[in-house]
Amino acid sequence: MSGADKQARKSWVLLHVGNRRFALPAESVVELAPPVRLHNFPHTSRLLAGVIVRRGRIVPVYDVAPVLCGRESSVHRFYLIAERAFGLSGETNEPSAIPVNGECELATGEMQPPQQNAPSYFAGTLAIENENIDVLDLQKLVSAGSNHPDAAIQAEARP
Amino acid sequence: MKIAAQDSSKARRARSSEAVILFCIGTQTFAIAADAVQEIRSTDSLAAAAIEMELAEVPKVRHLVERSHRTYYVVSGCAHFGLRVTRPTLVLILRQIRTAVLVDSIERMADVSQVHALPQAFQGEERHWYRGLIYLEDRVIPVIKPDGFLTREEFARLDRASKAIEARHEMEGAMRA
Repeated sequence: MSGADKQARKSWVLLHVGNRRFALPAESVVELAPPVRLHNFPHTSRLLAGVIVRRGRIVPVYDVAPVLCGRESSVHRFYLIAERAFGLSGETNEPSAIPVNGECELATGEMQPPQQNAPSYFAGTLAIENENIDVLDLQKLVSAGSNHPDAAIQAEARP
Repeated sequence: MKIAAQDSSKARRARSSEAVILFCIGTQTFAIAADAVQEIRSTDSLAAAAIEMELAEVPKVRHLVERSHRTYYVVSGCAHFGLRVTRPTLVLILRQIRTAVLVDSIERMADVSQVHALPQAFQGEERHWYRGLIYLEDRVIPVIKPDGFLTREEFARLDRASKAIEARHEMEGAMRA
C-alpha cells in the first residue's frame, strides 16, 4: 500500500449513539472507559452531563444523544473518551467523553464528503458493511449542541 | 539528619495541601477554602441583625448584615447555583469580600492536595462560580470562588440600595424623635 493510500484509508472508531452508528477518527480516541460514576454539580453549560474520573483526570461528559438522535438515551453506560480541541486554531486539547453503549469497533475506510444538507458536525461519511456511517466532528458537534433546544440549561445537578 | 529530612518532607506536604470546608446546599456538596471564611453563624443568631432588602436586579440577595462596621450582602446559595429552594440554617461570612452565603449544613473540613482546573468544556456561569474541582473520597466536588457570588456591578447596585435603606431608616428615626 502506498503512502497516499494509507493516508486516504484511515482508521475509525465506530460507536453507537441511540440506534445509530457514527464514526470518530481513531487517532482522536483515547479509550473506551467502563461504566464509572458520573459526577454532577451545578453548571449552565449545555450538553454537559457531568464529569467522570479516569486515570486521575477529570473528564467532562457530553450527552450528545439529544443532538444526534433527538432524545436522551438511557442505555449508554460506557464512555468513549476522545480529544477535543479548544481555541480558534485548536491550540489546546482536552479529553472529552461521550456516553456509548459499549459496542465500539475499529474500522478502516476512506471518508467521503458529507451528504448534501448534512449538519455541519458531520465531517463526512464512511461506507462500511453496506451502511453509510456519518463521521462526527466532535468540536462542531458540541458547539452545535450549545444552540440545541433539547439541551436545556440545567443548573440543578442531575442524580 | 534523618529527622530533619522527615521534617522537611512533612513541611512540604503541609505547604502543598489546602484546608477546605465542605458544605451542603440541598443535596449538593461544595468546598470553599477555609481561609476564605471569616465566620460561620446560624441563621437564627443573625436574624435580629439582618436588614431586609429586595432588589429586582439581584434577586439572590434578600438581606444585608452589618458586621464589624462592614455591610455584608447575604446571598442565597440555592438561588446563586440555580438549585431547588431549601431552608438554610447557616451563614458563611466570607473574609475580605462583603458577602455572606446561606447554606444548609457544614459537612466537615478536609485537607486537599490538588485542585483540578475546571475542564474547558464548562463555558457557562460556572467559570465564575468555581475555582476548580477536587476529587475526594470518590466524589468530585466544586471549589467555590469566594468573589464569584456577586459581580462588581451587583455590588454597586446593592450599595446604592443599602444607602437608600439607611437614609430611609434615618428619616424614620428623625420623625419618631
